[in-house]
Amino acid sequence: MTATSLYAALAAASHCAAGCSEKEAVWESGKLRLYRYRPIARAAGTVPLLIVYALVNRPYMMDLQEDRSLIRGLLAQGLDVYLIDWGYPDGADRFTTLADYIDDLLDACVQRIVAAHRLDALNILGVCQGGVFSLIYASLHPKRVRNLVTMVTPVDFHTPADLLSKWVRKIDVAAWVGEGNVSGDVLNQLFLSLMPFRLMHQKYMELLRGTADRARIENFMRVEQWIFDSPDQAGAAFREFVVWFYQENRLALGRLEIAGRTVDLNALELPILSLIGKKDHLVPPQASAALQRLAASKDFTTLEFDLGHIGMYISARAQREVPPAIAGWLASR
Amino acid sequence: MATDPWRQWQAFAAMATPGLAPQPGAREGAFSFGPFVDAAERFASAARGFLEAAAHSPAEAARTFSDSLREQFTDLLQVPFKADYLCAADTSFGAEAPALGLTREHQQRWQRTAEAWRRMADAQRRLQLLWSDALREGAVAFAARSVPSQPIVASPQIVHRLYDTWIDCAEEAYARLAHGEAYCSALAEFVNAGSQWRQELQASVEQSAKLLDLPTRSEVNTLTRRLQRVEERLRAAAKERAPQKRAPKVAESRARRARRKPKP
Repeated sequence: MTATSLYAALAAASHCAAGCSEKEAVWESGKLRLYRYRPIARAAGTVPLLIVYALVNRPYMMDLQEDRSLIRGLLAQGLDVYLIDWGYPDGADRFTTLADYIDDLLDACVQRIVAAHRLDALNILGVCQGGVFSLIYASLHPKRVRNLVTMVTPVDFHTPADLLSKWVRKIDVAAWVGEGNVSGDVLNQLFLSLMPFRLMHQKYMELLRGTADRARIENFMRVEQWIFDSPDQAGAAFREFVVWFYQENRLALGRLEIAGRTVDLNALELPILSLIGKKDHLVPPQASAALQRLAASKDFTTLEFDLGHIGMYISARAQREVPPAIAGWLASR
Repeated sequence: MATDPWRQWQAFAAMATPGLAPQPGAREGAFSFGPFVDAAERFASAARGFLEAAAHSPAEAARTFSDSLREQFTDLLQVPFKADYLCAADTSFGAEAPALGLTREHQQRWQRTAEAWRRMADAQRRLQLLWSDALREGAVAFAARSVPSQPIVASPQIVHRLYDTWIDCAEEAYARLAHGEAYCSALAEFVNAGSQWRQELQASVEQSAKLLDLPTRSEVNTLTRRLQRVEERLRAAAKERAPQKRAPKVAESRARRARRKPKP
């Protein structure tokens, strides 16, 4: 690849938009949007699947482009897919708590979907922090979740490889957050500093390797856009998440209370599929694997992939293997 | 040029860096490829020197190359914002002075602000020392892994391989450091001192705002909380009312169905 061709390809790709699957907003509340994706294949006959994404970063990573879209893969398997987009919190959202997100907003989304389909329960796919929300929700509202899929979801926040957890252990989070929100830029800096040489240097030096084809460059630019498109975090919810999970490990220890109710993973009896990235530097495999030990479910499946955190959404291997694995597992239940 | 990726990279970076070779669409303040131009140039040059010298004096060549890598990558590891410029000022001024009189509260606040800056600067220095240790450790590991057993021509592929090895070594050394108690403590101290500094500064700004009868963040927060409580009550009331509202509808619909029933 020549410098001229790379420059031209990057310039041409700098405005390419992420997202490829058609969807419509079926409900909204404040900054939250609940989307339903248009089907692209014959219905598999399972109950709808609600994807609960994290508050950190934007959910379009799940539908980045045609050949890098977990959602497209799920649609191709005939699943009826819904997605929660939490939006970009601003100063007015600074007192929004985890209970607001989980017991109010997430619950409202579930209620709307089950009402629309005249069902009692649906399937949930929780991704990363969204997986934690899904576990909490399933614990608080067991009758509304039929099957639960967790993807790169931390459960035990005190595993030896968890660098983020070690870093925040001695931080006075209440003082750090104050009464404001937490800037997305600060979080970006934090995530980059987990592997600074690879993420801030080698990645850009790698650009010239390989070919200058448009698809590769556009893929790079879309991922680049996603990485740095980080919403600010509602201060109260962020403080609760860091203190309760990263510092005090309440979820794993059975000491978590949300909206005045105890979250007991040991009471989770529904079928659970846990998807783990063996090379995940953000959520160490052990942190996710703890769920099998803690949940009471007798129908528990773990699938490990030789992938990193982001690779679990967008790698070619993930595209080939993850959607069929999810669809197959759901279809058999 | 077409066969040397390092040269291609430099040419590309020069094109993409504002000021080096202005291009249509290149914006001031945009992500600058300048550091990568320098890095590629310096790395390629140092790698070629290393490979040439390694044939005669491997240990010396490795040490020189490692030192140059440490120097090059020092800037990559930085705290988000620096306390350096204020450290130059005498922040200890009045720190121990007893606060007396009408402005006692303000004197104490400024003492606390200065103290927070001093703590930040200390923590920053500790972090920089630790980063330097990690770079040295990475460089030593790199030298041990990279000294060729026989003379090698510095082809682009060899330079690439050296670069990847260096990144692996640096990242491994950094990971060992970052998981350590000393680093976690220094990082926490930096963040905690920064939080205290911001809190004291915020109090000073609010004091000025009150003098000018401008709304303060604390007042806006109070109003936001009141609004939130009102919204919560409204939601709770709506939830309570929902079953009652549905009940008449259900009754009405039953009555309608009953009316529609064909008479025997």
